[in-house]
Amino acid sequence: MLTRTINQSKIMIVIGMMILIGQRIAQMINHKSVTPIGQMVPGILAILLVCMLSLKIKELLPNLKFPAFAWATLIALILSMPFMPTAKIFLQYTNNVNFLATTTPILAFAGISVGNKIDQLKKISWKLVIISIAVFIGTYFGSALVAQMILKMQGII
Amino acid sequence: MEKKRLIEDELIETKNRSSIFTKLYISVLFIVIICEFIGIKKIAVGPGQIVLLPMLYAVIIGMVITPDLLGKPVKVLRTLISDEVMELAGTMVMFALLPLGVKYGTLVGPNIVKVVQAGPAFLLQELGNLGTVFIGLPLALCLGLKREAVGATVSICREPTLGVIGERYGINSPEGTGVLGTYMMGTIFGTIFFGLLGSFAPSTGIHPLALAMASGMGSGSMMTAASSALAETVPAMKDTILAYAATSNMLTGVTGLYCVVFIALPLSNYLYKKLAPKFDKKGGHADAN
Repeated sequence: MLTRTINQSKIMIVIGMMILIGQRIAQMINHKSVTPIGQMVPGILAILLVCMLSLKIKELLPNLKFPAFAWATLIALILSMPFMPTAKIFLQYTNNVNFLATTTPILAFAGISVGNKIDQLKKISWKLVIISIAVFIGTYFGSALVAQMILKMQGII
Repeated sequence: MEKKRLIEDELIETKNRSSIFTKLYISVLFIVIICEFIGIKKIAVGPGQIVLLPMLYAVIIGMVITPDLLGKPVKVLRTLISDEVMELAGTMVMFALLPLGVKYGTLVGPNIVKVVQAGPAFLLQELGNLGTVFIGLPLALCLGLKREAVGATVSICREPTLGVIGERYGINSPEGTGVLGTYMMGTIFGTIFFGLLGSFAPSTGIHPLALAMASGMGSGSMMTAASSALAETVPAMKDTILAYAATSNMLTGVTGLYCVVFIALPLSNYLYKKLAPKFDKKGGHADAN
């Protein structure tokens, strides 16, 4: 349990550093004001703390098929609700970490991890390629159309 | 379950494996730096626009440098990205997703009142995911697939669906082949496809908030691609879009599995029974189980 936690922490810290490096570059090339390191570091630490917490909760509740990603969202959601005493300080710190900056490392890892499946994919018939595109479009526009209808009925849009 | 955890623990063990970690971290850091330097690009296409985000380049560069592609001619890359590195990268995706999960939470929290008001829409739009069956199944039958069609179109086939179909039919069954096909396509091209779709979809006239709800499909990375691209296209609603998408994705995480078991799979089998004989003159045997 302890070794696992240490290993997980090491990984999260490296990922945190990658996010900060990416964010700094993005801010520089977009000529936006650069977030000072003194504000970035506490921001990412607050985020990493919630990440570790969600990993631990997932381990403690293995029968609940709720992924750590969803726990992370749920914890951060609760901490940042307007009527929570934690909201102001938690948001103040986490706002120093840019949303898009957290996405780039994920997809870099994802890209590398599927790299060895490309030959496998070539073997799958072209029919499945067409079908999966229909499936993607079906789920996206199916949901969007239902949502559009209900939101209209509720008068939200 | 116990076995899987052991494997994951072994994978993230740094002892004697530091070279694997170093190779992976260097490659990813390199990719991140390049992608952020390229930055966000917006291209006007017809009535809409396509927004290219750094994460989109990241997945493409990541794939290109692996042994199946550039690694074939470039030997150095093959030693950098070994099988072990790719295996570790798969586990890393789960960890790298967590900070994003936190950021999503901080977007939903302050907007919680708006989200609760839209509650009924959130719950009912989950049924829209059945669009996979209604659009996909007839097309699959039309293309000549048999029972593979049921597996391939029952949902967008992320891990929970893989588990359900694997348990019910066996992953080597025709249904299993179908579900694996859609799963692989989603894994490899899902983020790219939804990134482009998300930026282009507002030009269909569907309201951005409805599209935001649709972005939560039960895959963290696909939802991110679809909703960030959407948010870049409609910057005025950025926070609400991201909050809606994250909430919808969480709900799909909770309800998705039950939706497949109790609604999508029975529906899919029913439609197969009705439609298969029409496509197969030899009288397609519609044995459901």
